[in-house]
Order: sequence, then structure tokens, then C-alpha cells
Amino acid sequence: MHLAHPVRQAMHRNRELPAVPSAAPSEFVVGIVANPASGRDIRRLTAKASVFPTAEKANMIQRLLGPLGQLGVDRVLMMPDATGISAGVIRAVRTHHAQKLPPWPRLDFVDMALEDGAEDSATAARAMAAAGARLIVVLGGDGTHRVVAGAVPEMPLATLSTGTNNVFPDLREATVTGLAVGVFATGRVAPERALKRNKCLYVQVGGRRELALVDVCVTRMAHVGARAVWAGDTITELFVAFAEPDAIGLSSIAAMVAPVGRDEPCGAYVRCAGDGRSVWAPIAPGLVSRVGVAEAGRMQPAVNYVVTTRRGSIALDGEREIELLDGDGAEVRLSLDGPWTLDVGATLGEAVRCGALGGDAVRPPDL
Amino acid sequence: MSETLNRESLLEAYRTMRTIREFEERVHNDFATGEIPGFVHLYAGEEASATGVCMHLTGDDYIASTHRGHGHCIAKGVDPVGMMAEIWGKATGTCKGKGGSMHIADLAVGMLGANGIVGGGGPLICGTTLAAKIRGDRTVGVCFFGDGASNQGTIFEAMNLATVWNLPAIFVAENNGYAETTSSTWSVACDNIADRASAFGMPGVIVDGFDFFAVHEAAGEAIRRARDGGGPTLIEMKLSRYYGHFEGDQQTYRADGEVQKLRETKDCLLQFRKRVTANGEITGEQLDAIDAEVGALIDGSVAKAKADPKPSAADLMTDVYVSY
Repeated sequence: MHLAHPVRQAMHRNRELPAVPSAAPSEFVVGIVANPASGRDIRRLTAKASVFPTAEKANMIQRLLGPLGQLGVDRVLMMPDATGISAGVIRAVRTHHAQKLPPWPRLDFVDMALEDGAEDSATAARAMAAAGARLIVVLGGDGTHRVVAGAVPEMPLATLSTGTNNVFPDLREATVTGLAVGVFATGRVAPERALKRNKCLYVQVGGRRELALVDVCVTRMAHVGARAVWAGDTITELFVAFAEPDAIGLSSIAAMVAPVGRDEPCGAYVRCAGDGRSVWAPIAPGLVSRVGVAEAGRMQPAVNYVVTTRRGSIALDGEREIELLDGDGAEVRLSLDGPWTLDVGATLGEAVRCGALGGDAVRPPDL
Repeated sequence: MSETLNRESLLEAYRTMRTIREFEERVHNDFATGEIPGFVHLYAGEEASATGVCMHLTGDDYIASTHRGHGHCIAKGVDPVGMMAEIWGKATGTCKGKGGSMHIADLAVGMLGANGIVGGGGPLICGTTLAAKIRGDRTVGVCFFGDGASNQGTIFEAMNLATVWNLPAIFVAENNGYAETTSSTWSVACDNIADRASAFGMPGVIVDGFDFFAVHEAAGEAIRRARDGGGPTLIEMKLSRYYGHFEGDQQTYRADGEVQKLRETKDCLLQFRKRVTANGEITGEQLDAIDAEVGALIDGSVAKAKADPKPSAADLMTDVYVSY
């Protein structure tokens, strides 16, 4: 159980929990950000990544709404989209009401103009925070979670993977996540039992500061282009908040030479070289790439690590975002004060211990 | 990994995109005078797609185009001077003034033709790529089509055949959001055209069609894969056209300010200039010089097209049948 981990307990003691109201508010609000673009990038072509269907994202939201309704969440505020997720959920809500099934929360959509880009997720997340959401459920890959965490740094997130490389978010059945969200959002389990604080990385390039949740990868590829990184021989440097040997994606390179647990209070860096020690790493689904490693070591928190590559691009959580110019002086710093995420296992474990899911308090979800 | 874009490649890309834009803006202006015969469907706004794809092709590779084909023609190497004359219906045109905008073809550079039949390019590309496979060379074929054509049986059949025969074909869906006047959100049953790829057993990816660099990388990977025998790919370009379905379309189906916002925020030429000058690869003066050269080229093409002779009555009976 995560809470039994001494480092995690220390991290909880030492850092302030987000300001989630403990008294019963007028209504319990949960936000949902489902990225319509996740699971569709070029790695379907350059690797063997699968398409994550829009219909399945809509289905996952329905599987969230059931337990949220059962547990007394009053209102769900969702990001709109023009690709069919919202439309699918609206159809499902109408059908659900027509059949007089156990009530789902009231579903509202954030009133926002869509830009068809990552900024939509950030805009929606800020609106949800302003509307009093106690937590935001994020459906996406590492990149989507990065954008939401950057927009609302202290907002607890429930993570569900619908992306390509799934390191930060949970690969978990949405119904179970919905149950944990429900018991947390309605105050049945306290934040200190339900939430865990994650590490993160900050990249400073000139006056620009960006967040990454898992890895910062420096490549020789000069342009942002199709964003993903799929060729190991283009990677020059890698900085990771955590790197576990069973992970998929760029952090797996670090995991092969300097593994770091998600709960350890440090990170790792790798400097690559063609003539260095070679490791095989699963950098994308179906793609195991050989990467030469010249040097690897631990990253300590709050220490600036200089990017030595002069020209190329920087990928944040697997997506090239920054074109690196001569003399930019990029630096990477590890922080232990990253986003709060809902620990589904710990939350449900605590709910069971305190009887929040038994007796007459709630009925089992009938989906 | 796709090839690295050097300075010469970047200048070439800009010149091609600028030529397409200038060509289309000039046709837009001149069509309003009533002097140009027939219909024209303009490609302005979509330049990064044709350019980013065709830069990976050789003269031996083929492309099949659409009714909105000027950009594909220019990117594949068709002479814009001849194209302008063709659009003006002159005997010096690419097809001797007999085809007009929607039927510009130049087999000498691998351009199978703009095509008035929506979805007509898919079977053509299956033909050229089957030939390539039988010959055993490394040529490929690219079928450009739109969101309207994405619902046509010919495209479905072509994608199916391409996988069954493992053809070196690339299907490029240029989803500009409207099939004539109907929004693709109404007319395309699935939410992304690229999602249909899995049904045909090929990879499908979505690309920002305003971003030359994204298009160039994705197309490079798909074309390399096809040349190496990896089979077909579907690429969906998310983009938009700046003008109506045809010239004269009042576009009442579009939101106020929609196009202006795209021109100001996503325009491929604007993005390209900003990025290559910011990182010092190209100077603004170099791009300005290309603008001036392209402007002069298109000025000259229009002047020539206006002055050139029309086909004669006797030309009616030539080029009607072709012997094989």
C-alpha cells in the first residue's frame, strides 16, 4: 500500500495538502478532461501503437458517471470537444435518464471556445477549478496530464490512461477509479489518506519555463515536427523524475541504467553517446531501441542540471515542444512538489476500513 | 527517422508553399473579373500538406489529386506558367487549354491529374502502385482526397486493395472541415478519418496540416515505409481552406471570422517564417526575396496567359483518343 511507504509518509508530512473543503459543501463537483487527440500520433506509423477510439473514451466517462452518481457527486463538469466524446456522453445520459436507472450526476460542459489544441485541456481545467471542482479526472496520456497539471498545479487529479506511452496515468478500469473519486469528492476519505504528491521536472529555456511529469528528452531533431520521439539514435540527453524498469516510453532508457522509483526523492539523468554502453529500451509500443549511454546518475531535487546539447529539440513527456537554439542555456530541475494524484488503491482501502462503501451508506453501482 | 531538413530544403519548402499561395490568391482575384472560364476550387490555406508530402517524392512517383488540385500540381513539379494558361483556357496550357482547373495533368512529372470525380484518385493510385510492385522498383503513389471523398466507396475499395496487395500507396486525407458546404462533423460518421485505417489493416495518423514540419515528418515516415515494402498508410491532415468550395461560394455555413482567425494564428507560411527565422536557419530577407521572385513569376504567368492564343476549332478533334 502506497501510504505505508516511509518516503511517501515523509513527503505527506512535509508538504501542505491541497485546500479541499472538509465541511459538506453545497454541491460536490468533479471535473473530467478527456483529450480527444490522445492515442493518435505518429507512433501508430513509426511504432506499433494502437488507436484509442473516441467511443471508448466516451464509454469510460459513462463508467465514471455510474459510481459518481451512486456515491452522491452532484455535478460533473466536462470539457467539450468536437470529435464525438461529448456527443457520445450526451447520448448516453439521455438514454440513461429514459431508462430511469440510478441517477448520474448532473452533467454540464465548460462554456469555452475550442482551439483544437492542448490549450483546450488547460482552459477547461482552470474553469473547473474556478467552478469548485474537488478533483479533475484526466483521460489522456502523459502529455495530457502534463498540460492539466501545469494549468491547475494544486488540483488533485485522478489519472486514466488513454494515450500512447502510459507512465504517469493509471492503466485502470474507469469504474474503479470512479468509485475512488466518489469517496474522495464526497469527503468520505480525507485528502491525507487519498492523495499522493508526485515529482516533476521543470525545464527553463531562456525565459520559457515548462513542466514535465515523467521525462525531459533532448534530441538532435531540430524541429518540433510530428512531436513524438521514436528513434533512439537521435536522443542526446534524458532527465527523468522516475524511471521504472517495467515502464514504456523514453524513461525506460534511464530505467536500464539508473532506475528510480516513483516514490524516491530523486530523479535521474542520462547522457547518450553512439560509442557508449548500449542498452535496449522499449521507447514506444512495439519499438525496442538500442541507445548508447555515456553517463548516467541521480538528479537531486532543486538542483539545476545543464542541458549540454547546443541545437535540437526538447521533448516533454515524449512530445517535442521546444526548439533548442544555440546559446539558449537550457536547464532542468527536479521538484518534489509536483501534482497531487488520487491513489485509487489507498483511497478504496481506506473507504473499506471506515465502512464508506458498506451498509446502507451507498448501494453498489448498477451500471 | 525522416531526413533532416537542411537550409536548401527549407528554402525549397517555402518557395513551393509561397508559389501555391500566390498562384491561388491571383486566381481568386482574377476569377472575380469574369475572364477565367469554368470553375476553380482554391487550395489556399492547405499548402503545407501538398508541399510536405511531395518533397519526399521523385519524378517517378505518382500522385492523384482532387478537384482542389492546384497545390498538388505545383508541389509535384507542374509548371505554374503552363497551369495558369490552362486555367485561362489557352492553347499553351498544361493540357492545351482543354482541361481547365479541374483536369490539370502532367504525366511527365508523375501528376495523374486533378479530378472532378470525388474519390476518383484512389483506384488510380492502386493502379500505379500495383505497376510499381510488379516492376519491382521503389516508386510510390500518393492519393490526395478530402473529407467528402473519405465517405466514397472508391476510397474504401482502394484502401482495401492497397492492403490486400500490400501496395506502396499513401492515402492523404486533407480534412478541411467541409465537403462542399457540409461540415465534416455532420457527414463523416467516425470522428477522425484516420480512425478508419485500422479497418483496412493499415496505420492511420493525424497530423496538423498547417504545420509543414509535422506534415514533412509524418509523410516521410509513411513514404519510407511504402518504399521499403511496408505497405500503405493513411494520413489525415487537419487543415482548412481559406476560400469557398468554389469561387463564388458565399460560405454562409462558416462562422464569422473563422478564416481570419486561421490566417492570423495557424497559417502555414506564417508559422514557417516565424520558426525558421527565430532559430536562425533562414533570414527574413531570404524569405522576402523568394516572395518577390514568386510574385514576379505569377505576374508573368498571368500576363502570358492573357496574351496567349485560345485553342483553335481544329483542336477540338485532337487529343480525343489515345493509342497505347
